[in-house]
Amino acid sequence: MKYLFIDTCSNCLIISTIINNKIDYFFIDKNNNDTSSKVMKVLKDAVNDINTIDKIFVVNGPGSFTGIRVGVTIAKTIGFCLNIPIISLSELELLATTNTDADYNVALIDARRGYVYAGIYDKDLNCCLNDQHILLSDIKYPNNYTVIDNYDNIDLLKIIKKHEFDNPINPHDLKPNYLKRTEAEERLDDKRN
Amino acid sequence: MTILAIESSCDETSMSVIKDGSIDLGTVILSQIDIHKLYGGVVPEIASRSHVESITIVLEEVLNKANVKIEDIDAIAVTYGPGLIGSLLVGLLAAKTLAYIYNKPLIPVHHIAGHIYANNLVKRLEFPLIALVISGGHTELIYMEEDYSFKRIGGTLDDAVGECYDKVARVLNIPYPGGPSIDKMAKLGNDTYKLPLPLNDDSYDFSFSGIKSAVINLNHNELQKGNTIRKEDLACSFQNKVVEILTKKTMKALKEYNVKNLIVAGGVAANSGIRSSLEQECIKNNIKLTVPPILYCTDNAAMIGAAGYYAYQKGIISDINLNAKANCELGENI
Repeated sequence: MKYLFIDTCSNCLIISTIINNKIDYFFIDKNNNDTSSKVMKVLKDAVNDINTIDKIFVVNGPGSFTGIRVGVTIAKTIGFCLNIPIISLSELELLATTNTDADYNVALIDARRGYVYAGIYDKDLNCCLNDQHILLSDIKYPNNYTVIDNYDNIDLLKIIKKHEFDNPINPHDLKPNYLKRTEAEERLDDKRN
Repeated sequence: MTILAIESSCDETSMSVIKDGSIDLGTVILSQIDIHKLYGGVVPEIASRSHVESITIVLEEVLNKANVKIEDIDAIAVTYGPGLIGSLLVGLLAAKTLAYIYNKPLIPVHHIAGHIYANNLVKRLEFPLIALVISGGHTELIYMEEDYSFKRIGGTLDDAVGECYDKVARVLNIPYPGGPSIDKMAKLGNDTYKLPLPLNDDSYDFSFSGIKSAVINLNHNELQKGNTIRKEDLACSFQNKVVEILTKKTMKALKEYNVKNLIVAGGVAANSGIRSSLEQECIKNNIKLTVPPILYCTDNAAMIGAAGYYAYQKGIISDINLNAKANCELGENI
């Protein structure tokens, strides 16, 4: 089985192919700030013949709104056109795959103005705090935890193994998981209340 | 040659299959206007979010409507700019992905070139021509000597004409988008309010922020005096001035460039005041006027497919690194 993995949600662009549970191709650019123009070239280098892909794993957030849409649009389009199953993954869970000595990994992504996107996972990637947009100061940390906020030691195979047999999503229904409404929507709600 | 075209520069997710730059085999336009109405105008982040949710649905629908398979398409054309960057990116990424999967040429199309070529779906363009492009985001006068050669001879220095209509509508408490309502009200009123003729000079440029401020001030002063605004009269006074300056500068361009063909394009081309004024002047001066039907006036992918065909004839093809541009000049290198 050949899988394609796409993560464009942050400055760290990751494209990978996995064949029979082994990493076949791995591209990572930790300081990427031009995902939308670069990503197709990386994808082309990673996959010679897109028809050989059996499943797409796409990270659909949280993170940069625009970044999320890049990966989701690509995955949806490929999935729809070639009828390839799509499985969506959490960026926070991906961070939480990092191997540490702690019992819990607290995955954090900066969401500005004192807010973060946060999720807490145990060693088997069981979710102990659902991914959410939260004030950094409001997080209740478990005992024996490590904070993970970078991609240095993520374990791609771990998250793929965990979700390999999840039910695929219909490409039309694949949506970004922003974890945050737009400011305009928030203001409109404030006005109504 | 059959082109699949994608347009997502603002708040319409649209795809179209166009044959030889002139035959519309099928067009789907998904408008988000009902969502943005709640906010009194287009909210860029909400527009981007809506595009990504509907992009493959629109693709499936257009293929069904045109009764084609993507394998039978010869090229993919896409709006790369100008527009809302987040919105543009969704259409662009879908286009690049399709070009990659099916190994098809990718044709980058400038949004304004699209508006101009909307006319080609009605009647083959005749050159040389002057194009007046008027919409919520654009006000441009373009001279074309031949296919896909653009010379911008003037344009707005601030607000686009459609944007000005929407803002004036807001002053008059008319819900977004107010442009069409002002047009209707203008027909019922009289030109009684004194407003300035915007940027009445020898250039081909326009400026609509002054008249917008004049309407705001007038409204404010009348309310201060305890007078009620006669909305129909104000709409009429405002529209008359806009029509006058657009007509004046367009007719001047036709004369100075010695051109006998005028095309009008963009959403505001649907405005009846502007249409009838230009029609009258064109008849008087023996000029052929073409205005596309409403369906092709507002943003749509059919016009991108039409323009894309002629861009392709000129060898304008992009590689897979094509990026979206929020601002870009018509005719510049991509």
